[in-house]
Amino acid sequence: MKRSDIALTLAGVLAATMVSACSPSAEDTVLLPVKNDPSISFRIWFKVGSQNDPVGKEGLAQLTASMLTDASTTNNSYEEILDKLYPLAANYDAATSVEMTVASGRTHRDNVLEFYPLFMDALLRPAFREEDLERIRSQMLNYLENSLRYASDEDLGKAVLYNDIFAGTPYGHLTAGTVKGIRSITIDDIRSFYQQHFTRENFVIGLAGSYDDNLLEMIRGDLASLPEGHGLQIDKPKPAPIDGMQVTIVEKDAPATAISMGFPIDIVRGSREWYALAVANSWLGEHRNSSSHLYQVIREERGLNYGDYSYIENFPEGSRRQMPPQNVSRRQQIFEIWIRPVPHEVRHFAIRAALREFRMLVENGMTGEDFELTRNFLSKYVLHYAPTTMERLGYALDDRFYGVQGSHLELFRKMMGEVTLEDVNSAIRKYWQYGNMQIAIITKDAEGMKEMLVSDVESPITYSSPKAASVLEEDKEIIRFPLDIKAENVKIVEVGGLFEE
Amino acid sequence: MKQFLITGVGMAMIAASVPPATAQSIFPYQHEKRVLENGLTVVMIPMESPGLVAYYSVVRTGSRDEVEKGKSGFAHFFEHMMFRGTENFPGPVYDSIMTSIGADANAYTTDDYTAYHLNFAKDDLERVIQLESDRFQFLHYTEADFQTEAGAVYGEYRKGITSPWWVLNEYMQNLAYDVHTYKHTTIGFEPDIKAMPQAFEYAGSFFSRYYRPDNVVVVVAGDFNPDATFALIERYYGGWEKGYVKPAIPAEPKQRAPRDGEVRYGGKTLPIIDVAFKGDPFDPENSDYVAALLLGDLAFGENSDLYKKLVIQEQKVQFIAASTPMNRDLPLFEIYSMVKSENDIGYVKDEISRVLKQFQTVAVDTKRLDDLKRRNKYSFLMGLDTPDNVAGGLARLVALTGGIDVVDGLYAKMDEVTPDDIMKAANKYFTPERRTTVVLKGAK
Repeated sequence: MKRSDIALTLAGVLAATMVSACSPSAEDTVLLPVKNDPSISFRIWFKVGSQNDPVGKEGLAQLTASMLTDASTTNNSYEEILDKLYPLAANYDAATSVEMTVASGRTHRDNVLEFYPLFMDALLRPAFREEDLERIRSQMLNYLENSLRYASDEDLGKAVLYNDIFAGTPYGHLTAGTVKGIRSITIDDIRSFYQQHFTRENFVIGLAGSYDDNLLEMIRGDLASLPEGHGLQIDKPKPAPIDGMQVTIVEKDAPATAISMGFPIDIVRGSREWYALAVANSWLGEHRNSSSHLYQVIREERGLNYGDYSYIENFPEGSRRQMPPQNVSRRQQIFEIWIRPVPHEVRHFAIRAALREFRMLVENGMTGEDFELTRNFLSKYVLHYAPTTMERLGYALDDRFYGVQGSHLELFRKMMGEVTLEDVNSAIRKYWQYGNMQIAIITKDAEGMKEMLVSDVESPITYSSPKAASVLEEDKEIIRFPLDIKAENVKIVEVGGLFEE
Repeated sequence: MKQFLITGVGMAMIAASVPPATAQSIFPYQHEKRVLENGLTVVMIPMESPGLVAYYSVVRTGSRDEVEKGKSGFAHFFEHMMFRGTENFPGPVYDSIMTSIGADANAYTTDDYTAYHLNFAKDDLERVIQLESDRFQFLHYTEADFQTEAGAVYGEYRKGITSPWWVLNEYMQNLAYDVHTYKHTTIGFEPDIKAMPQAFEYAGSFFSRYYRPDNVVVVVAGDFNPDATFALIERYYGGWEKGYVKPAIPAEPKQRAPRDGEVRYGGKTLPIIDVAFKGDPFDPENSDYVAALLLGDLAFGENSDLYKKLVIQEQKVQFIAASTPMNRDLPLFEIYSMVKSENDIGYVKDEISRVLKQFQTVAVDTKRLDDLKRRNKYSFLMGLDTPDNVAGGLARLVALTGGIDVVDGLYAKMDEVTPDDIMKAANKYFTPERRTTVVLKGAK
């Protein structure tokens, strides 16, 4: 069908009487009708991610997705696409994570007739031109070689942590790939990756807002023209067990020290235990929230940095997002502590302070009072996780990924009324431990940092302002808190060589 | 808690009810503005958003108001201090109540204003009004707390300075302005941030001059009853004494010649070119200014000829974009481009000049101008989808004008812009006498 035909058909169906009831969600669809939302949101989920990157071609999944949504189609050059989208104030793009690639777009319903054919062209009729590849390749290399290595030490710390924990598994490289991988990718690689993974049995349609059923049928019909195939499903990764405290120090002329640490956890959202663990995690380190206990100890009481948080689900772009992202689902999660940059002179102290708090939580569990406060907080706070239709659609797709019956966000609120303190403390004991952990440190004088860690020398701290007696008393414990880090478990790397291959 | 004893009785409001959205209005929600006797302005935008409310307190003070030497960054620092509690609700109590409410609460500071914002369930509206009114009137902290918080602010500076954009903006503002407070970025000069712990007394004076009802606009959007909400706001804020002291912001002398600078960034980066021109203060009645708001996108936006040439065809730059901000005083209209090779810096600068010259001499295509107007309209409408996006999206206009009545006028004025207006604006603003060019280069 030509685009003009599609537009005519769509005009006809939209002019017809609106069908109020939507089809029940079929196998390949996740629907979220919101009749009074003036916009229509699309999320087409392809079950492919960076875990499917061939060895030596790291970054291929993301590059392929960008070649769909940021490049020419056989109907329009990239310039023509930009011209056509421009007056609509509508856009589409593709986001790739380790297990998911989601092409998403949103348009005002007034403009859906013009938007929809462009969006479908991108998914079904990519041109795969060399000049588009070179433009996108250059952007990805700039990200790896310049932005990630130099422009944000806290993002760098997280990237190093994830790569260390998942080394040797399909999760063991960044979604953005490696410098060598990106350089080696050819149009043929992209074409064959597309044909293998962007297939008829390998997607889920997400549609939300004031669409009607005819639009849904049209999407189904159009996507049916994709080649047959189930993609390539791969096993859940098995990260190697972490033995003791394993440290990577990235040597860099950094203005402050950025720290991330964590270990794999064998639990994902949807179970009662996960929601119990979420209570403990929220108390310890709710993202960008002053209710975070780590924030209270390190920032609020001592003024050492801008914030300190913890996670039981992957949370990319933490320095830019206030609320959790959608469609970064993964079967294997890690527990993660994020210490935002601290002055070099307190780097050792800050690691001790965070690990000491974590150890106390693991050993003692939560108190009844903290438990009540936190579960009440979460029962309301999760309302803010997905205020827009597009975000709720993202969550609905993630529900499909995790096999959550109903809605994770609704279940989250319900579970806050059901989980008990014993559930929380038992989940802590089952899933958290403090003896085996990977630590990533971005700092200067890496040798000096290593020496401090390995010798376990005291890390005295002085303040330029008076502190409460209780803080000073606690400091006496923190400065000598044992880290038990062995020399052979500390690796020093130069920033210039990271993500090379 | 004396503020709780004050009731709405006797508090005559200066009514300024605005009629609901009309066919001519682009803004799709009913809204009304009321002003308390003490000058506190309240903008209420009820909208469908089951159970959720957004509450913004917009203080019309930002880094622009930091006129005293050595005190750059103070508006932002003060934003941090506003979370340290009062005698009624000391910091830990405040935190604990906010936690129990489960609000999404935060704040940010810009050049022209500081915004404190919360999203929460509608049942907690009175509690939020109570807490917000309390900290705006009765903020109380110790010198030790003040000094500790200065450490967090310095931490924020340290995390940001690793970005080349941060380095570039600091350098550009310092070079482009001589005396106006836009000379420093919102977070301030580093030596001033280092010295913040010693400025305890100054902080008191800052609060007393700027945190006054006649300098604050409260914006409420979402699922709430306007009359009942206004009654609560009157009750809790009514006793707040007016007393805003307008700062004497130095007038920037007229720039007479182009300026050029180069700055080094310690890490690796592709070079960035920033070509800036001094613009005009926000004024929807100034047709040159309104045309300039559109010009940046027409000349350098993602479907501009230059974008297509440099980004897509020649692939000499990672991106190019323009920024034409809305400010109380004269802002910088800027064109940014990240260039792939140092050898092309001169070429890209020349291309930017060529395009500006073209806009000064050749009328822009009417269809492109119409496309942009349509884009702006839909972009605005699609951005108004949640209470937070409505209140947050309007915060700058609220800070600039004291309300949101300006929205319809601004969009109507944009609709009237002609290709000749664009040419006139290009000739007025994009001249060598207004220009400052900075090139940032990374480490070898």
